[in-house]
Amino acid sequence: MWAFSNKIAVAGIGYSALSRRPQRPLMSLAVEACDAALADAGLTRKDVNGLVTSPAMPRYGGARGTIDGIDVVTPWALSERLGTHRHLAWTGSTNAMVTQGFQEAAMAIASGVCDTVIVYRALHVPQGSYVNYESKYAAAGDQFMAPYGFSVPPSWAGTVARRYFELYGYSRADFARYIADNRANTLKNPNGFWDKPLTRQDYLDARMIADPMSILDCDIPVDGCAALLLTSTERARDLRCKPALLTGFSAGTHPAPAGLPMTLDDIWIGCEQVAQRLWQSSGVRPEEIDTAQVYDGFAPFVYLWLEGLGIVPRGEGLAFLRDGHGSLTGKLPVNTGGGALGEGRLHGMTQLAESVIQVTDRGGERQVPGARRAVATISNGLTKSTAFIFSRDE
Amino acid sequence: MESTQAPAATALRPLPLADEVSAPFWAAARQGRLDIQRCTACRHWIHAPALACPACGSEELAFEPVSGRGTLYSWTVLHHSPGPGFADMLPLIVGIVELAEQPHLLLCANLLQVEPSALRLGMPVRVCFEWLDSDHAVPQFVPAGDA
Repeated sequence: MWAFSNKIAVAGIGYSALSRRPQRPLMSLAVEACDAALADAGLTRKDVNGLVTSPAMPRYGGARGTIDGIDVVTPWALSERLGTHRHLAWTGSTNAMVTQGFQEAAMAIASGVCDTVIVYRALHVPQGSYVNYESKYAAAGDQFMAPYGFSVPPSWAGTVARRYFELYGYSRADFARYIADNRANTLKNPNGFWDKPLTRQDYLDARMIADPMSILDCDIPVDGCAALLLTSTERARDLRCKPALLTGFSAGTHPAPAGLPMTLDDIWIGCEQVAQRLWQSSGVRPEEIDTAQVYDGFAPFVYLWLEGLGIVPRGEGLAFLRDGHGSLTGKLPVNTGGGALGEGRLHGMTQLAESVIQVTDRGGERQVPGARRAVATISNGLTKSTAFIFSRDE
Repeated sequence: MESTQAPAATALRPLPLADEVSAPFWAAARQGRLDIQRCTACRHWIHAPALACPACGSEELAFEPVSGRGTLYSWTVLHHSPGPGFADMLPLIVGIVELAEQPHLLLCANLLQVEPSALRLGMPVRVCFEWLDSDHAVPQFVPAGDA
């Protein structure tokens, strides 16, 4: 277990409005989310001395460049906009998912470089479509995929889910309950994107993108930003909200085979690696977890994470969800706020924020009563994936 | 190995841009041959082509022909066009083929001359080549029957 286990905490959560193609530029949404996180903690911009994000824009095969403040928000542009550039001690910017930046923020606080850090992720829906391979040539890793049309991320997840279905005899029908219950969770979440319930039949009838991945197996791209405020637990106890303690975290280093973005077998190995490191860093065991916030940018990752975390054996994750054990009143409530399927694409900030919400009793109608420990996992278990344990302050 | 003519498309699919590492792979494809990179030290097969062997770290790598036979590791059926060059080809099957030469030696390609409903995990497939334009041929796969 780490020396700084439970000594760093999340003391504030801030969300901008989450919507599709708003009139406001992304920078404005990022400022809104950061100010909301500060207000939640009872702090001001003057108190912030660290700022970190991943200012990446997941547009595949496009020709347009990237404009700071419109397509992405870098910590340098944001700090100037917030007026924090005169007193920041540290900025971080990762090529991995933003959750890797969250880990760097915790280490910056543990080391004394900073005492108050905002971790934010601002995402913009590009003009046209996220995926439209217009380039004449496919270079580097793309040359082995894009000529075949294998350049759409849902299709990568499609090959993962297809192998899983074929190995264990599942079909999309086995996932329908989870998807419908997840939408019900979303409707209990004030940050949820959707305002209508979804039936199991709606899921089965959904438009297919890359069979077996339908549009409802993918998080919806939104314009918006989520921000989390990190500080020491000691300091957090004097702030406005109850702190969520960071008990441990881990990162993945298992790569997919060159030439492919992901495979089922590599995802299993990767998730298990991330989980093993997580239990080691936190001293927590799988059976001590009260709620799981697992990455659902593509929904099949949900059951694969349950398996990787050791909550169920390989091949049984989807049966666990099919039988309702991951629903709000089930054995292990999963993605209690609707996850990224429900909030929209925030690249893992949803899983972190919901973990914080659950261990601080802020879940309202979706609260898991008395939740002491939440696990959050981000990405697909391969390189750049991360996992976290958050604990109640008691 | 046979050659399959591409269906006439109004827009071109993205063409593979050969680089310092991959050039022998694409040069072989133009000759209707599937060559895969191999470590001369430990004999490990490598795809996609790499700068060093992921098994032993050797930088002494060369390309060798393979049988062109494999089995279906997984697949997806595209119903949403990934770009302007694919709009007329839907639904399009993308298969992940495990080549016969080595476990988990995986390569993606379209599966041609087969209906999605006929696909099975582990079904035998064999390579063929498709010309995307007069300069670019890519390996594709078709069912190999009981062979």
